[in-house]
Amino acid sequence: MEAMPKERVEKLQALSTKQLLIKYLSPQKGRVILLALFIFINLGLQLLTPQIIGQFIDSVTQKETLSKLVRLGVLFVGVAFLQQIFAIISAYFTQNVGWSATNALREDLTQHALNLDMRFHKTHPPGEMISRIDSDINTLNDFFSQFLLQLVGNILLVAAILIILFFEDWRIGLVLTGFSVIAMLFLTRFRNIAVPHWEAERKAEADFYSFLEERLAGTADIRANGGRSYTIRRFFGLIQSMFKRSVKAAFMVNILINSMFLIFAVGNAVSLGVGGALYFNGIITIGTVYIVFQYSRLLERPLDQISRQLSNVQKSLASLKRVINLLSTESKIVDPHQLREKSLSDGLTALGQEVSLCFDHVSFYYDDQPEQALVENSSPEPVGQVLTDINFSLAPGEILGLLGRTGSGKTTLTRLLFRLYDPQAGTIYISPHPSQSQAVDIRQIPLSTLRSKVGIVTQNIELFHASVRDNLTFFDSSINDSRILEVLHGLGLSHWFNSMKNGLDSDLESGGGGLSAGEAQLLAFARIFLKDPGIVILDEASSRLDPATEHLIEKAVDRLIKGRTALIIAHRLTTVQRADKIMILESGHIEEFGDRQALTLNPDSRFNQLLRTGLDEVLA
Amino acid sequence: MKEMKNTTKKERPSTWWYIWQLTKYKPWVYGTFGLMEILIFGVFPQLSGFVIQGIFNRLTGEAAVSLNLTTLAILLVAVAVGRGIAFFTDVWLYFNFQYTVTALLRVNIFDTILRRPGAKAVPESPGDAVSRFRDDAQEIAWFMSEMLIVLGFGVFAVVALIVMLRINVRITLIVFIPLVIVIFIANFANNKITEYRQASRNATSKVTDFVGELFGAVQAVKVAGAEERSVDHLKALNVTRRKATLKDVLFSQVLNSAFHNTSNLFTGLILLSVGSVMQAGDFTVGDLALFVYYLSWVTDFSAIIGDKIAWFKRLGVSIDRMIYLLQGTPARKLVEYAPVYLRGDLPEVAYPKKTEGDQLETLEVHNLTYRFPDTGRGIENIDLHLTKGTFTVITGRVGSGKSTLLQALLGLLPLQSGGIYWNGKRVEEPGEFFVPPRSAYTSQVPLLFSESLKDNILMGYPVDEAAMEAAVHAAVLDDDIAEMSKGLATVVGPKGVKLSGGQRQRAAAARMFVRQASLLVFDDISSALDVETEQALWKRIFTTQKDATCLVVSHRKPALQRADQIILLKDGQIEAVGRLSDLLQNNKEMQRLWHGEEKVS
Repeated sequence: MEAMPKERVEKLQALSTKQLLIKYLSPQKGRVILLALFIFINLGLQLLTPQIIGQFIDSVTQKETLSKLVRLGVLFVGVAFLQQIFAIISAYFTQNVGWSATNALREDLTQHALNLDMRFHKTHPPGEMISRIDSDINTLNDFFSQFLLQLVGNILLVAAILIILFFEDWRIGLVLTGFSVIAMLFLTRFRNIAVPHWEAERKAEADFYSFLEERLAGTADIRANGGRSYTIRRFFGLIQSMFKRSVKAAFMVNILINSMFLIFAVGNAVSLGVGGALYFNGIITIGTVYIVFQYSRLLERPLDQISRQLSNVQKSLASLKRVINLLSTESKIVDPHQLREKSLSDGLTALGQEVSLCFDHVSFYYDDQPEQALVENSSPEPVGQVLTDINFSLAPGEILGLLGRTGSGKTTLTRLLFRLYDPQAGTIYISPHPSQSQAVDIRQIPLSTLRSKVGIVTQNIELFHASVRDNLTFFDSSINDSRILEVLHGLGLSHWFNSMKNGLDSDLESGGGGLSAGEAQLLAFARIFLKDPGIVILDEASSRLDPATEHLIEKAVDRLIKGRTALIIAHRLTTVQRADKIMILESGHIEEFGDRQALTLNPDSRFNQLLRTGLDEVLA
Repeated sequence: MKEMKNTTKKERPSTWWYIWQLTKYKPWVYGTFGLMEILIFGVFPQLSGFVIQGIFNRLTGEAAVSLNLTTLAILLVAVAVGRGIAFFTDVWLYFNFQYTVTALLRVNIFDTILRRPGAKAVPESPGDAVSRFRDDAQEIAWFMSEMLIVLGFGVFAVVALIVMLRINVRITLIVFIPLVIVIFIANFANNKITEYRQASRNATSKVTDFVGELFGAVQAVKVAGAEERSVDHLKALNVTRRKATLKDVLFSQVLNSAFHNTSNLFTGLILLSVGSVMQAGDFTVGDLALFVYYLSWVTDFSAIIGDKIAWFKRLGVSIDRMIYLLQGTPARKLVEYAPVYLRGDLPEVAYPKKTEGDQLETLEVHNLTYRFPDTGRGIENIDLHLTKGTFTVITGRVGSGKSTLLQALLGLLPLQSGGIYWNGKRVEEPGEFFVPPRSAYTSQVPLLFSESLKDNILMGYPVDEAAMEAAVHAAVLDDDIAEMSKGLATVVGPKGVKLSGGQRQRAAAARMFVRQASLLVFDDISSALDVETEQALWKRIFTTQKDATCLVVSHRKPALQRADQIILLKDGQIEAVGRLSDLLQNNKEMQRLWHGEEKVS
């Protein structure tokens, strides 16, 4: 996204602002029209008030009857009251429209961002996402509801006032129209001067809050290693940069607002001067002078509001730009959504639990930072090749034990299978049992289908501040409770579960507080049982379990991988004893691949060597 | 949980007390800003009013005005120019004040959190805490700024009152009645406002909270194919939030309209009562123009006052929400005076020098008990005895309380009962005490932050390159760093995602080693490591950290074999203590733990 050429981003934005509005406001067409109506009625009532007072003054100076004065007084109160009623209604409608639209946008943006590939998420921490999805869109709230209608309303109000003034006296109308035109020209010319500064401010803010979010999650690490004063220093550093940017942005906006004020003060003075001259010449009454004066002040309000709204719009535009930037960020992982060929799709729906798997000359490196790569590496050669020419296949139901040092590419290999990344070279195929001939390139399978067929248990389990049920099913309400309880029981978690006060409705703490790491890992197993996939990956799944507990869940694991194709990643040799095949990775190459039995018996094999190292560990 | 509820219910100083503390904090910052607001909202509008009255009186000739029409028009422009200039100065004063107040509140909360038992430092999730840091601190600063506007209006009102009383007493009184009514209404509506505001704030927290978690776990969400279902969950939270906010807004708007209506009603009354006076010639058109001009200000003023009174109540909610983050630290801490560094040099990074007393001779723990308030599980009556240079391993099954024991000892969980003695002296505040240079710690799932690897390891700790290299070597991270194109300058991404699990664990180990502490505490340091790396790590720990005293959670064989003593935990209690050979001979649980792996093979 950062790498996107600048003109393209701007074009997209110009297109999308309008599209965005239409998209999110059109579902509430009825409400928007009603809202417009209320706002316009309100504006109309505003126009009436000066007329009433003007007439009042003329009635007084022309010594009219007291009953007429009373009538005007009552009329004034009535109009003012109605105005307030409409203000309440339109405030309610405004907020409702705004929140419905922005909530929808929040949801779409979340969905979009969740679909982005991991390259994106590696550079955008959760705190930043909160600021994008919540703070930015909060700023847009006004934009959706108030701004458009009020802006249009205010422009109409200005037009109406000018017309009325023309009717009162054409000279005064002319003078004030002149000033309004100058003001509007000025506004449209300089409208955008603050946008880049607001953007900078919001960026500084996002940095600050993602810093906070991250540190608040890592307090134990900071505290126990004495990092407090360092963290506080960084905290103030970020506040300083936020402060500087806020002041700068506000200055730019103020230039705009103040110039508007000045233009109108001059306009006001001139209209009073002209009005006065006309009055002295007996052309207009003193009541009319007052009306003119009131209207010229009334003009100030919508124009002031327009300029304020424009400054809000500057903020909104900065936010909008970020939102649209995010929306136009494309995942490098292309989701085919629908299969091109009907036969393929049939095959995949029928895709049972027994799936064969084939890596065909797959090579991969992480190209997370294209902008840095461009600057620093003059050599076109990709640095940090993670996997090179990986070539192997597994028959349905076969179990692969994957060994290798940390950083040898084991986990990366599984990420490719989920299409968290796509390889730069080579293809990964899976195929439904039994005919190997129907092998499908995983890039042609809809992501949702692919990911529902593959399950993984890793050493980290991410828990939400949500109920036990939602945590286990990942918000899938189609899984019934008895199934969940059965799985928990099968994993020996009944004891833990019974300590929960509200059963499946008990809330878990965010980040899994209150759970031991081992228990959390058992919950990860529970998740995978509930998902029931065709291919299972265990990535160091039992590393946090003590041997005794590990033994307890062996049976569960046996049940889990029975009849499924499985990849078991392990640092420990004992973990791969149930494998049919063994692969040893070394710096992204396959160092050894073969039948486990055969490798165990072959004294020259790397696996055999490792087995001996492993035994050393026990004997030492 | 129980403890927490009690502390939030505990009496806190009044909201005014907080505002007064913040007012006194930097009197010049608030004072100059206040003067400027008086100028803008009190003085300039008053000047405009006089000019307008003058113009109308000049026109009708009802009262003598010495200035001619052109001069009056020019004066009107001059007032506007003056106001414009004032506005510019105001921008800087405004932000200077806003940032002073928010920075003080935020740093006090942040500092408190960083001093809290680290394993449970924020009561809800980090996302929730961020929303309190962001919105609630802002709320107080905004309110205090708005109060100055009220002050400006107040100055305006006093002058207006005097001027009007001199023109006509009866009509003046009518103008000021609405103010009294508005204040009455606002007081009346207070409780409802608080309730609605709290509900809408909580609904907002739930949303930010969930978004934070969702993106923290984005890989898991993708792999589970749960993108759409998570968005559905968000949708439900969004609906709740919209409804809560609508209620809040609607109620404020009704209140606001009530303020405006009372004012308007009285404007009408003025029109009614002024008629006969004007016809009698005691009240000029200029006076009427001035009165109506004043009225539009009084209307705004009463709305603003009413709004502030309502806001003041909501402020109480914001203060409560921030105090909640302090979790039992006295509520006054929120506004404790501390420098805020808005300009100039940032605060120094302070690491205390190692002294005699920081050298560990013995560490004793008696009857240490910690139970999680929610589940009642935890550890009970733990006794430990560690001497200088020894290697102690805590082992046991999943959920037996190993990590809890370490966290309770280090003060990362609040001390419930029991005593900890360092070289025979009781440690009163374990959390404050167990930090470098006395001790350093690596958690089971260590967190790194999105900055460079070097900054992650050092966290500002002042050491030379050799010590850094030694720590990196001891953590078996040297080869990994050599392979990174930017070496130690590599930015590790949010929570260290750009590193593998094993690299994160070893980076955290390096962070611990570099501090050269007397006591090293590490929790399951090798769980993400392959056999060879793990063996290298243990070997280097045993050779390079010989002088340090180590307290380690592990069920790995190299650690158990090397241990001077093993503490075997079962269901939160010590099952047995001793060397491996003794335990293997006499203890069934130890046998199960040791042989569990082999049975499989």
